[in-house]
Amino acid sequence: MTSFWNVTLALLEGFGSTCLIFAATLVFAIPLGLLVTFGSMSRFRPLRWLMRTIVWVVRGTPLMLQLIAIFYGPALLFGIDGFDRVPAVIVAFVINYACYFSEIYRAGIEGVPRGQAEAGQVLGLKKSQVFFHITLIQLIKRIVPPMSNEIITLVKDTSLARIISVTEIILVAQEYTRQGLIWPLFYTGVFYLLFVGVLTLLFRHTEKKLEYIKI
Amino acid sequence: MEFLHVEGFRKQFAGTEVLKDINFDLPKGKILAIIGPSGGGKTTLLRCLNFLETPDEGKVYLDGELLSDAKVSYSQKERREKQLKFGLVFQSFHLFPHLTAIENILLAPNLLAKDRVKEQFKERKKAAKGAARKTLKKEEKQALKKLSAENKRHAEELLNQVGLSEKRDSYPSQLSGGQQQRVAIARALALSPEVLCFDEPTSALDPELTGEVLKVIRALKGRTLIIVTHEMAFAREVADYVLFMTDGVIEERGAPDEVFLHPQKEKTKAFLKHMEEYHDE
Repeated sequence: MTSFWNVTLALLEGFGSTCLIFAATLVFAIPLGLLVTFGSMSRFRPLRWLMRTIVWVVRGTPLMLQLIAIFYGPALLFGIDGFDRVPAVIVAFVINYACYFSEIYRAGIEGVPRGQAEAGQVLGLKKSQVFFHITLIQLIKRIVPPMSNEIITLVKDTSLARIISVTEIILVAQEYTRQGLIWPLFYTGVFYLLFVGVLTLLFRHTEKKLEYIKI
Repeated sequence: MEFLHVEGFRKQFAGTEVLKDINFDLPKGKILAIIGPSGGGKTTLLRCLNFLETPDEGKVYLDGELLSDAKVSYSQKERREKQLKFGLVFQSFHLFPHLTAIENILLAPNLLAKDRVKEQFKERKKAAKGAARKTLKKEEKQALKKLSAENKRHAEELLNQVGLSEKRDSYPSQLSGGQQQRVAIARALALSPEVLCFDEPTSALDPELTGEVLKVIRALKGRTLIIVTHEMAFAREVADYVLFMTDGVIEERGAPDEVFLHPQKEKTKAFLKHMEEYHDE
């Protein structure tokens, strides 16, 4: 009989990969999303169309397909070595989430009244100063709730990494299922719940911190 | 040519001519009131002067020198320098909601000081090496610190001038509309513009709050001001010159008493009569 303790340890190890994918995706997708936003809001039409097409394709196809395409694609199409498993997952997730984030950012930027930028402009601020000193914080205030949602979805989306055999927590649990042990699979839910619980507290704290800005 | 000389401003939006050959002069230290019906081009004129819109045609001369020409495209840096000659107070304040009253006033002067100090030290820092470079960096820091302190003192003076010293650390959401507009005026004054423009500064306010804002503006006498307003009594009282604008043209101009008491044009008469009736209601 596999002990509860052993299962917990094994699942924890899988959960390490889960956390790694989660953290790496956030670290890269948050700034990349901003670049995608600037691209899709650009006055240069070809760039705008390109970015919007990319966002459409990425949001319009399953993340699972994107994972497979990025992991197997290079070898199948060009016969070259592609990414290792974990980097492939991270690349796919970063691209996917950057596109979702970019749309949240866009809505946030468009939600900041034009008068704010104009007030900065008549005070002689440069475009970059208007963005970093005026728009950005108001943008952040607006996007915390939708970003929280997306980030919580990301926690659970990490389980898709098992498609290309990355041993994240669900895959570890499925190994037990194969041996006839069902409960570890449901036990993984506790890990997700705890993780999302911590994130929820963090988001609530952030919202509280930004409460002083009334918009 | 007077201190401010605006020549041949034209502006179209999607085929509609909003400004049709606008020309006017304003001597230094005088107040110009612009009155007229909504949609007459008053706001567009102020926006063009403040570089928020580029006129299709037209030139601005300031202090005898050509400041801007619609036919010339300026770099961001040039534009910024020119922009600083003018200030604008908006109808709906546009204070920065994440900054306190004093921070709202300080943001632009401090950023400007930072850029200017950086510019000043750039060449010297490039040439210097090793220890000399370090001293320069220190000097730069000190120069900036000195300017920041000056800016802060100036900002506090301005807050005092608009009667809001005790609201120094309040956020815009904690201020009444009248107080917000007074902070906005202080914010515009902080950069010491040559010409300060007001775009219907009391239109967004409850009637009982307009008085405090008008009082602050009244106290600015001696500065060069352009005030777009629907407050006829106020315009008559403070202005040295009045322009009546409608349909994108200056229909009538003159001293307040001329325009208000002896209007020559039918459109002016009709507008003033309308405003009077509106006021009586």
